Amino acid sequence: MSEAQVSQAPRTAPGARSGSFGRGLGAWLAQERVFRLIPFVAVEVIFVLVIIIPFLLTIYISFLKWRANRPFEQAYLSGFGNYQAVLTDPGFWSALGRTFYFAGAAVTLELALGFVLAMLVARTVRGKAAYITILLVPMMIVPVVVGYNFTMLYIDSGPINQLLAPFTQAMGLDPRIRWLSDPVAAQWAVILADVWQWTSLTFLIFLSGFSALPRQLVNAARVMGASAWQIFWRVELPLLRPAIVIAVVIRAMEALKIFDPVVLLTAGGPGTSSQSIAFYLWEQVWVFNKFSFGAAASIILLVIFAVLIFFGIWLLVRSSAAVGRERAA
Amino acid sequence: MAQIDLKDVVKRFGPHLAVKGVNLQVRDGEFLIMVGPSGCGKTTTLNMISGLERPTSGEIAIGGRVVNELEPGERGLGMVFQDLALFPHLTVYENIAFGLRVKKVPQAELDQRVRAAAEAMHIASLLAKRPAQCSGGESQRVALARTIVTNPSVFLMDEPLSSLDAKLRVDMRTELKRLHERLKSTFVYVTHDQAEAMTMADRIVVMSKGVIEQVGGPLDIYRKPASQFVAGFFGTPTMNFLAGEIDARDGTLAFASRSLREPLGDALPPSLAGRSIVLGVRSEHVEVGRGETPGRVQLIEPLGNESLVFFEFGGDAPLVAKVDAETRLRPGDNLTFGFNPAGYHVFDAASGARLN
Repeated sequence: MSEAQVSQAPRTAPGARSGSFGRGLGAWLAQERVFRLIPFVAVEVIFVLVIIIPFLLTIYISFLKWRANRPFEQAYLSGFGNYQAVLTDPGFWSALGRTFYFAGAAVTLELALGFVLAMLVARTVRGKAAYITILLVPMMIVPVVVGYNFTMLYIDSGPINQLLAPFTQAMGLDPRIRWLSDPVAAQWAVILADVWQWTSLTFLIFLSGFSALPRQLVNAARVMGASAWQIFWRVELPLLRPAIVIAVVIRAMEALKIFDPVVLLTAGGPGTSSQSIAFYLWEQVWVFNKFSFGAAASIILLVIFAVLIFFGIWLLVRSSAAVGRERAA
Repeated sequence: MAQIDLKDVVKRFGPHLAVKGVNLQVRDGEFLIMVGPSGCGKTTTLNMISGLERPTSGEIAIGGRVVNELEPGERGLGMVFQDLALFPHLTVYENIAFGLRVKKVPQAELDQRVRAAAEAMHIASLLAKRPAQCSGGESQRVALARTIVTNPSVFLMDEPLSSLDAKLRVDMRTELKRLHERLKSTFVYVTHDQAEAMTMADRIVVMSKGVIEQVGGPLDIYRKPASQFVAGFFGTPTMNFLAGEIDARDGTLAFASRSLREPLGDALPPSLAGRSIVLGVRSEHVEVGRGETPGRVQLIEPLGNESLVFFEFGGDAPLVAKVDAETRLRPGDNLTFGFNPAGYHVFDAASGARLN
């Protein structure tokens, strides 16, 4: 069979099968003014279906009095009742405060560790690719697996306590730290698991920052007699500012939604001592069936986080604009 | 005192030998320019003087003191980099002050020295600006001010003018030469631009493939290039090269190729008879309308004060001659030409070494 025959076959087939309507639709879609709109329409449809409609529904539900274990027909409008209930619930505020505490501690540690690791790896010559690969592994592991692994690491006679035993004993403490059942230790169990998993990301951001540092600037500082310490503080750190802001913004946004390690390690316990706001929300809705209460709480959170994210993006734009100006020449 | 001595300096990057045993003395207060094509080892040599690279073997001394083991900052030198390397996050003032700040110079003295350096480079009005807000020429001056503020006895410059446009580059050449006159420090300057080397240098070091081809004053190098490489590197347009051999048939030595036979005079020893050579003749020593050899014009390039005529004559490559700007020659015209024997450069065809 010649090539011409092969290429002709599919061209005639669809028209023949779907008839004149199919051919008409195809021709209409192929018009320049229609065709270029197709991707936009597709995106807009998805946007409306998965974001706008659920969002409007959430707002609607937040004004209802409705529990999921009762028929929806019995739901009735209750004005701002749910909002009042959320804002006066001490559990909501303590979960929110604890989330900021988790995020603050975790992000600070992730930034510090990621920075130091990136600095060391950036200066490594031999085996660089191997170090980078190993250090990126935690980020690629499924959070459920991370949580499961950490429950085993945290058991009373587990490896973490064994490793810490010389220090805890030296300080006269009980070496059997109850990572998952002591209120304070449980909070740190959650924080440390998050740090272990997400230091990879800050490491990656800082590594790209370090590799983008112009070598000549460091050389210029060396010729002028600056010590390694002075080069770090006066040249490298200021030039890494955009990378630092990006890492803070990205990690803070994520850490405020912390959920997986809480569910997997402590289930918010003991009591509510390690509940994050995401866990609180989930529990209210899916355990206590308080759908309308949960809807109101998520709208309130949306407003709080939107303000924070706006502030974060403002910081990001400002610092990248500053760098853009500086590199313009 | 800031004489620089390089003794058998070798630099190896893995299997690649970048600098193959360089011996060089830079005199105190001299403006020395290292020139050569990319990858010839000139920047590596400069970086070894600055201390940014350590020599694999050999010895480097500045002012009589061996500096091999000293950090760049301990060598008492100033450096201007190819991309200037101004700190983008610091103002012009802080850029100039950087070298004094890291040495913990008292604030009052620092301020006075920064302002004096800025004054000297005519950038006093820019002190509050960031490098990104400065033009190319201004940035250049900031980089120079940052270097002179620490009073180094040696200035190292790594193609500092390469990022400027042609006009500014020519202006900055004059400025650099003036700066050298004023400071009387030792300048070591690296460039791949032979015109920069010719115009500024007291002495030129021509490098190729990690070795020094020739050291000499600009005119020496132009008039008496030590090798075919140096001859081809200096001068615009590039020197004409004719491959052939030395013929001694009539008792005198002559250059002979398939299409030409030119007597060489008595500048060469008779023992060279039969040797394969390359005859080099600069365009100003090709005399159009003088001799008897016929040629045909391919191209005319007017330069304003004179014109270049490219013509073919039956040889391997066309020749180029400098002629009067008012020439009536047009592409396709026939001409006759001869050479001025005073401008002959005879090189060994195999080694490229000068024979006359």
